[in-house]
Amino acid sequence: MNRVVQTKGLTKKYKNFYSVQNLNISVREGNIYGFLGPNGAGKSTTLKMLLGLVQPTEGEIEIFGKYFTTKNRIEILKQIGSLIEMPSYYGHLTAKENLKIYTTILDLSQKNIDEVLKIVRLDGQHNKKVSAYSLGMKQRLGIASALLSFPKLLILDEPTNGLDPAGIQEMRELIRSLPQKYGMTVIVSSHLLSEIDQIVNDIGIIANGKMMFQGTLNNLHQKDTNKTLEEIFLDLTGKETSL
Amino acid sequence: MNLLKCEYLKTRRRYIFITALAITAFAGIWAFYGNYSGDIKDFVIQNGYLLFLYQFPLMNAIFFPLLCIIIASRLCDIEHKGKNLKLICTLTEKSKIFDAKLIYGISIVIFCVILLWCATLIFGKIIGFAGKIPINLYLLYLLFTIIPTTAIYVFQYSLSMIFQNQAISFFVGILGEFIGLFSMFLPQFPLFRKSILWGYYGALQFVGLFGYTKETRYDAAYMEVMDIDWTAFIVLIVAMTVIYIIGKKIFCKKEL
Repeated sequence: MNRVVQTKGLTKKYKNFYSVQNLNISVREGNIYGFLGPNGAGKSTTLKMLLGLVQPTEGEIEIFGKYFTTKNRIEILKQIGSLIEMPSYYGHLTAKENLKIYTTILDLSQKNIDEVLKIVRLDGQHNKKVSAYSLGMKQRLGIASALLSFPKLLILDEPTNGLDPAGIQEMRELIRSLPQKYGMTVIVSSHLLSEIDQIVNDIGIIANGKMMFQGTLNNLHQKDTNKTLEEIFLDLTGKETSL
Repeated sequence: MNLLKCEYLKTRRRYIFITALAITAFAGIWAFYGNYSGDIKDFVIQNGYLLFLYQFPLMNAIFFPLLCIIIASRLCDIEHKGKNLKLICTLTEKSKIFDAKLIYGISIVIFCVILLWCATLIFGKIIGFAGKIPINLYLLYLLFTIIPTTAIYVFQYSLSMIFQNQAISFFVGILGEFIGLFSMFLPQFPLFRKSILWGYYGALQFVGLFGYTKETRYDAAYMEVMDIDWTAFIVLIVAMTVIYIIGKKIFCKKEL
């Protein structure tokens, strides 16, 4: 299976503090890769480096088999959809108007707007100003923006943040369906293993900027068969609780 | 072009254009609301067109920097508020985003400058100023209004794009405006005027009022076209270019 994303020794240092240190990530094509770690572990910084929003101090990034550089950044990013930290939106505009801005930049068909609004189930709310949306609706709009070009790779940073249990379940189902329906590869980050363990194929666990584990859920379980996955996760990240 | 279209789409319901027009209209009303009667009436009718070229740089120094602060801040704030730069910077080059937004804002500001310029000429005709419109002088005046305003806009815009907190650009802009206004009342210190962007409305002023005294008032007063300070003009263009390059570089290097 092809590797969609591969990093070698990815490092980000702020003054004397390593936010991310020597990270080797490997994401297989068509898979859902769960990127786990407690708050402040370096997940968002890593994902931002994959999108060129933050410059790595050291290391290499390879996406779709090409080295990611400032020169080919936009060319590669055209095949990537992303939602980082919080959904981006223009509150004074409607969902449709927001998405029209992104389709104009990307020179995409307006049909995509209706399609992605339907996917995230915002098609009934598209004429309402986004500032009047609930957090869950804004989150869904963020996903819609990321899906707009039906990218090969989707990077979602804690997409379930602020959602109620029903919203989390809905988001899980949506993410799970993306590789099968649209052939996408998905990287989804979370600080809760229980939130994504049912949908991911592979996981990477990061703590204090270092990769503590990378592999399948089965591999993780085999680390200690007497413990639950959550307990192993907590052992690896050194936290007493992640809830 | 796509990015410029996006800027237009983003500003829907933000009333940016109406705000710009309102500020320009207020500047015009204030400027034209003058006492054109009594002993000044003859002087105004005879020298009206030159008198405007003498008076308007002061009005411009009050209103156009304010317009620049507001337009730049309104345009940039929509990106900061919704954390949009994080998304749009993954869709296209940061430098292109910076330029498109800058061009869009500058075109609004320049449109307002031209509008007030046209209003000045129309108002002169309505009042019935003597002689023909000195169009060459008015075109020069237009140039000397557009360039300082554009330079101030580039500065304000860079601040508004770099800092999320718009209070910073407001504070710096208002402070600059006050110093610029203050410098206009100190023609004996030309270097002071030329040391700040806001002082260039005065530094590039080329019509003077002479012979006016409290006692004789306008009896012996006359308007005269003075030498144009082309060095100041070139310095201003260089300063504007440097601010643009630095602003863009900082924005492009900024991690989101």
